[in-house]
This record gives sequence, structure tokens and C-alpha cells, in this order.
Amino acid sequence: MTFNPLEQTGIPLDEQLRNWRELDVLPVDPDLSDPYTLCRIITMNGIEVESIMFSHNFARVCQDQDVTRKLAEIRYIEQQQQKVVNWLLPGQASPLETTIFYEQVAVDLTAWIARMEPDPYLKQAYEFGVLEDFDHLYRYSNLYEMVQHRKAEKLVQGLTEVMPGRPTKYHHRHPVDNVRDPYDRTSTVPLSKMHALTVMSAEQQTMNFYMNVGPQYMEPIARQLYQEIAMIEEEHVTHYESLVDPGETWWERLVLHEYNEVYLYHSFMQHESDPKVKAIWELHLNMEIEQLRIAVELFRAHDERDPDELLPPELPAPVTFEPNKEYLRHLLDTQIDLTTLGAGYVTEAHERFEQLQDKVMAGEVPPSEWVIDQHRAQFGTDYRSETDGPHPVSELRQQSGSKA
Amino acid sequence: VTDTTVERDVVDLLVQQHTQIRDLFTEVESSAAATRTSSFHRLVWLLAVHDAADEKVVHPLTRLHVHGGDYIVADLLAEERRTRQTLVALEEMGTDAPEFPRLLNELRTTVLEHANREEAYEFRYLRRDVPAGELRALSAVLKTAEAVAHTHPDPAVEAAPENTLALFDRTKELARKAVGDVLDPGTRSSATGKD
Repeated sequence: MTFNPLEQTGIPLDEQLRNWRELDVLPVDPDLSDPYTLCRIITMNGIEVESIMFSHNFARVCQDQDVTRKLAEIRYIEQQQQKVVNWLLPGQASPLETTIFYEQVAVDLTAWIARMEPDPYLKQAYEFGVLEDFDHLYRYSNLYEMVQHRKAEKLVQGLTEVMPGRPTKYHHRHPVDNVRDPYDRTSTVPLSKMHALTVMSAEQQTMNFYMNVGPQYMEPIARQLYQEIAMIEEEHVTHYESLVDPGETWWERLVLHEYNEVYLYHSFMQHESDPKVKAIWELHLNMEIEQLRIAVELFRAHDERDPDELLPPELPAPVTFEPNKEYLRHLLDTQIDLTTLGAGYVTEAHERFEQLQDKVMAGEVPPSEWVIDQHRAQFGTDYRSETDGPHPVSELRQQSGSKA
Repeated sequence: VTDTTVERDVVDLLVQQHTQIRDLFTEVESSAAATRTSSFHRLVWLLAVHDAADEKVVHPLTRLHVHGGDYIVADLLAEERRTRQTLVALEEMGTDAPEFPRLLNELRTTVLEHANREEAYEFRYLRRDVPAGELRALSAVLKTAEAVAHTHPDPAVEAAPENTLALFDRTKELARKAVGDVLDPGTRSSATGKD
């Protein structure tokens, strides 16, 4: 079934404003929900946060007061959408549980996008990044059992495996090696642009979440692990945002943001198992269709171009949360040793990498290793959920008392 | 061995009980009619053990050591009373009653929220304000008391040995006795004097 949002009629902007009662959504159940429902909520929150911050940044450089006012009007609706989406998260879940779902998003969303990405250079960027978030899931899951005495498989429910990825200590790279080459806006297909925007938004929200929630923990190991991984999420934001062509006009970027929101709400509506959440995806889709129409109007007026130059004739295949175990095991087997050098990838620990590592580590064990050591000391082994057999990399197989 | 029996102090022990309670709720909710009664009795048993530890050990410590402890404890006690009332109602109606799933689900949400409040507003301050050695000693004492409660008399959890309120009273008395033997005289009078 084809769906071209430019041919649809959405909800008029002046009918999109919600009152307190409409904003006061019922959260999902922390223990009985589909983990992928939580993943969709976390993803859409990241997308809405990006739409708000993008609009603020646009407004700060916009010299046309009429446009600034229009942006403010749309943004006020977007921020209500963000509140509704993020307030679906249950208050009973601890920040660490939400963190584990953030990492499940980073793993299964990035893996799916890597699988679907047609451009080989962009695909490599996602494949590189996903092995790092995969490792973060493992480190946080070990912390979870230590501080909450519960296994992360209760949360991710076997949909995502929990085991070492590229070890977190190797994610600390020289910042210039985090900058990738951008795609070319004139020749890159719209799907690739939306992939980049989606992963960048998700990682940006993860960075913001960790850097704010980390210091709320009392346990020294929790505080330090959040600090370390929050630093890496900033590297990831640099990595993914640098994929986007900086030559895109502000109007072009506005249209792509709105189109991507339409695309994702439409996608998530297709697979949502919770009817209350599905109703919100549908409502927001109908709001976004109108916001997209306004963005296209501005694009036509200011860039003097036709949206057909920028957008596909119909929405691409829906973004889907589903297990990616086999794919991830293949990546573990083939790409675990990679690091970056300039805008490319290498397998050796080059000089600039070593220099930064030496400065950050300063001869000490990083929190991401310490959490595993502590877990072993307390439980005899590290925590894993390997549903599909032993780790594909023999050196990373589980052994009592050995290092991951 | 990956088990979850490792705990370092009384806070760890109680956080671990919170997760066991949480998972037992989902077990009762998803169990078939034939096994629902026995898993429900295990849940009641664990709630009783936890309630006893809260009332006879944790709350007295909070009142003694934590600024504003009396108010924190008053709020938590009110919630615990409501939990006991709902448990009694559930026990009276039986696991086959048509209303049982709805009320059980309500109780699950209440207990989960209560556990979060305990962890956020009580446990974190105990770790800050009570000497670590005392928190560790109390963990050992409570584990012993729980073992005694299990064996004497045999709770025979499969057969619903006693009604909910009697079970709660009995575990509380065991917890009180156990703690009374360990805490120093000054702490004991405060720790046991305000139940």
C-alpha cells in the first residue's frame, strides 16, 4: 500500500493544541509491555527532541520574523508531542531500566537501518556504531544486576542478546577521528538522509539522557559508568551528524525533519501492539502531515524549488523493530577490531588513538571494565543473555574469572 | 554461578526482595488456574517477610537516623496498610474469583510504586546515614529470621497454612526478636519502641 504524505490532509495546525487532560496520557505497564513498544516510545522522544532543538536553532539564525513566528507555532505543537510521547514511559521504571531500553533501541534500530541502508559508506558507519552500543547494553546490564538484583533479560525479553561487543574502553578515540565524510545532498537518496537523521536524533537523546541522569546515582560505579558512556555517546553524535551534508539549506532541513517524523509515526503505527500507544502514533501522524505541508510551503517560497526534487513519491518501507541477532553476530565476527582513522576505518591501534587512550585512561582501569570486574567478584561471572549460542568471537566467550 | 542470592547489606537484601516480588506478580498474573493459587501463596509469603523487615528493621532505622524519618515512615506505613487490606480482600475472594485479576493488577502497581518510593526516599538515606557495618549485620540477622519463619512452623506455602494477617503478624514477631538480639541497647529501644 503506497502512502504519499504530500497527498494527504492532516489536522489543521490551530486544531493541534492539547489541554492538560489530553496531555495527561496513561503510561505503559513497566512489566507487561512489549519491549519494542518501549523502544518505539524512546525513539519517537528522541525524534521530537531533535525537531524542537532544530527549530530553536533555525529560529536563532532566521531574520524573517514571519518565519520565526511560524516556526514558534509549529514548535509549540512539537513540544507537546514530545511531552505526550515521553510521558508514556512508566514512573515505576528506574532510570537504569530506561537506560537498558535506550541501548536496546540503539542496537535494534541502528542494526535495522544498517541492514536497509543502500549507500555502502553510510552502511559502514552504522555497522561500526552498532557494535559499540551493543557493548554498552552489556555493561549496563551488569550494573543492573549489581544494583537492582535483576537480570536484564526480564527487560529485553530475549529479543536482543546481551554479551560483549567492541569493548567500551576502545571507544575513546581522538575527536578528529570521529568526523565522517558527509553524503552528497544532490545525489543521495531520501531514504539515506532519513536514516542519518533518525540515528543522529536517537544518539543525541541518549547522550542528553545519560549526561543528566548519571549523577543522580549514588553508587560510585554507576556514576562513573554513566560518565564514561555519556562521553562515548557524544562521540556517536559527532560520528552520525557528520554524515549529513552541511550544504543542505535550512528549508531543506526543515522539510526533511518533518518528512522523517511522518515516516516514523507511519512506520510505528504499522507494528504497534499496544492500542493506546498506536492511537497516539496515528494522531501524531495526522499532525505531522500538516506540519510537513507548512514546511513544504516555506521550502517552495524561500528555496524556490519543488519538493519532488527532495522527497520520494511515497513513504519507504516502514522502519521496524525486530530481532537482529544473526546480523549482529556476523558483525561481531567481522568488525569487532575496527577503529577510525580520519574519515575511514582501520584495524590497527594507530598513534593518535593510542595517545588519546593513554591520556584518558592514565594507567587506570576504566569504569566499563571495573563494572565487569565487580560483577565477577560479586556473582562469580559476568552477566550475559546469549540466546543463540556462545559468543562468535572465541576470546570473548564467557569464562569465570577472566576479563571480557 | 549466576544467582541473585548475593547481597552485601540489608538494603541489598530488600532491593533483591523487591525484584523477586515484582517478578512473582507477573508469574501469578500469567499462571494457569491450576498453579495460580500456589504462586499467589508464595507471593503473600514474600510480601509478609518483606513487610516484617520494613516495619521492624528498616523503618525504625529511618526514624532514628534519617532527617524527617518520622514523616517518611508514616507515608510508607500507610501504603503498607493498604497493601495488607488488598491482600486480605484477594485472599477472601480466592484466585478463581472473576474480580481477582483486576484487583491483583491494581495491587501490583501499588506495590511497585511503593517499592520505588522506599528505594528513592528511604534506602538511599539509610546508606548515607547509617554505619555500613550495622547495615551488613542486619542483613545477616534478617536472613536468619526469614529461615526460621520458613521452617517453624512449616509455612507449607502450597496449602495456604494460615490467613494473611496471622502470617504477617508471625513474621513480624520473628523479625522483632531477631533484631532485638543484635542491635545495641540504645538502638534497640528506638528500633523496636515505635512499632
